[in-house]
Amino acid sequence: MKLLKIDSLHKTFKKHKVSAVDGASFSIFKGEVLGLVGESGCGKTTLAKLILRLIDADKGSIFYKDKDLLKISHSDMRKTRKSLQIIFQDPYASLDPRMRIGEVIEEVYDIHKNVTGREKKNKAIELLETVGLGEVYLQRLSSELSGGERQRVGIARALATDPEFIICDEPVSSLDISIQAQILNLLIDLQKRKNLTYLFISHDLGVIGSICDRVMVMQSGKFVESGSCETIFRNPKHEYTKTLLKSALLS
Amino acid sequence: MLLQIKNLKVGYRNIEVVRGVELNIDKGECVGLIGESGCGKTTVGLSVTKLIPERIGMTSGEILFEDKNILKLNPEELRNIRGKKISYVFQEPFSSLNPVFTVYEQIREMLEKKNNIYIQIAEILKSVGLEKIIGRKNVYPHELSGGMQQRAMIGMAIASKPSLVILDEPTTALDVTIQRQILDLITGLKNKMNLSILFISHDLRIVFSIADKIGIMYAGKIVEYGTKEKIISSPSHPYTIGLIDSIPSFEHRKQLFNVIGGKAPLFSELPKGCKFYPRCRFRIKECLKKEPELKDISADHFSRCILTSEIAARRLPKQNRSI
Repeated sequence: MKLLKIDSLHKTFKKHKVSAVDGASFSIFKGEVLGLVGESGCGKTTLAKLILRLIDADKGSIFYKDKDLLKISHSDMRKTRKSLQIIFQDPYASLDPRMRIGEVIEEVYDIHKNVTGREKKNKAIELLETVGLGEVYLQRLSSELSGGERQRVGIARALATDPEFIICDEPVSSLDISIQAQILNLLIDLQKRKNLTYLFISHDLGVIGSICDRVMVMQSGKFVESGSCETIFRNPKHEYTKTLLKSALLS
Repeated sequence: MLLQIKNLKVGYRNIEVVRGVELNIDKGECVGLIGESGCGKTTVGLSVTKLIPERIGMTSGEILFEDKNILKLNPEELRNIRGKKISYVFQEPFSSLNPVFTVYEQIREMLEKKNNIYIQIAEILKSVGLEKIIGRKNVYPHELSGGMQQRAMIGMAIASKPSLVILDEPTTALDVTIQRQILDLITGLKNKMNLSILFISHDLRIVFSIADKIGIMYAGKIVEYGTKEKIISSPSHPYTIGLIDSIPSFEHRKQLFNVIGGKAPLFSELPKGCKFYPRCRFRIKECLKKEPELKDISADHFSRCILTSEIAARRLPKQNRSI
């Protein structure tokens, strides 16, 4: 079943005349992990933000369950975002340094107004336990946490609204390799348990290969190749994919 | 032996973060030093050039470079070594280049002979693959991409024709394709100039692709040391095994990683006995008695674990993995 259908999505940053996303068309199926790989600056994160309407697209369409996300009102979009979430790249920048971890998670419920009072705290504890942290973290500040722990908080926050689809924007690229494996395990486990759908963005082909079902290779705003992980890794067609595979440090 | 580190201990205030490191680097050899953030690997690198200020860091042990103990040298003698015989490339090129001087000026500063400066600089730029900026004397660091900045840093490091270069996570901030280019550049320079390299990184994959010998550091000590081939084919310390099992790859598709649980201990609260005990999958009671010594396993291969011989057999096959 198609969860999201994206058709010829365009975004140009006018000031710099950069076509960050240049005609992206693809579908994401329910329950799959779709990888998006490419160098810095090729438009991966812009695409992620376009899908969630965190920035506005110039043209194109994004269908989520028969609704064109680009045509619905802001309040409808806010409701829809309950099921479309994102885990950001840099866990040092994506948590408010002045908020306690409990507040970070409870804020999600304040925005969506679906859970109130005491229930919020219980939910937050439950989420922290899901991601391998415990109740003790409620009162901590993000500065007291290590990179891995912060990223777990980021994951808990994304899970707070019980989403169907999560964009993972380089969730492990700033972590040590041992912590990276822990976080990948957590993401794989959550995906299987909750039947989540991921759009997994990374520049590390090792990471992509270990978690994704399908991969799309992006270069300067365009998809140059896409296919199952098997095909892309075993039998790359496009020159750029070959270069990426050659430079990747695959053991 | 170009560099010999003997029983190096470094303490910040009263907390020892490097707790007796032994490491040798031969002429023309690349030694990789691997470990998690905060295991003391950067401190080892900084100690080699005595860059840790005496008022914060208490250093003991010996660092013999060309048979002189660096830790005993006076500032004048150090000046003749730092940047000339031993140079350092830091992790983030953008924060280690000076933003208010041009790249040309910064490379010129490193040159010993001040004749034919522009020819010398052009040669350096060419050797690090920065042909594009040859002759462009007014290029500032911010005008370069991350990869080019790191090339400029490497250019500065080799400008004085050093015999040892310390590279502290030189590719961590870079993209995969650029990472590969920088690694190829370093290997090329190493062969051409017969450089010795101390390569510090947390990523085994990078170190595997460049180092001849590898030391794995945990909680301020080396827990396994050996040639690259030995470490890849028969890792013997549970920590090394955990690190290797954490490498993501296509072959491990959709399987859970056999991860090292928990996180590295704080230096102020190190556990008794083996420091890896709380996170170790193979632990037994004996591990708590005392911290194991670095034992010979075979030629050029040492491990700090009392179970070394049994561990390889007990390493779990991939399909039996769980969180």
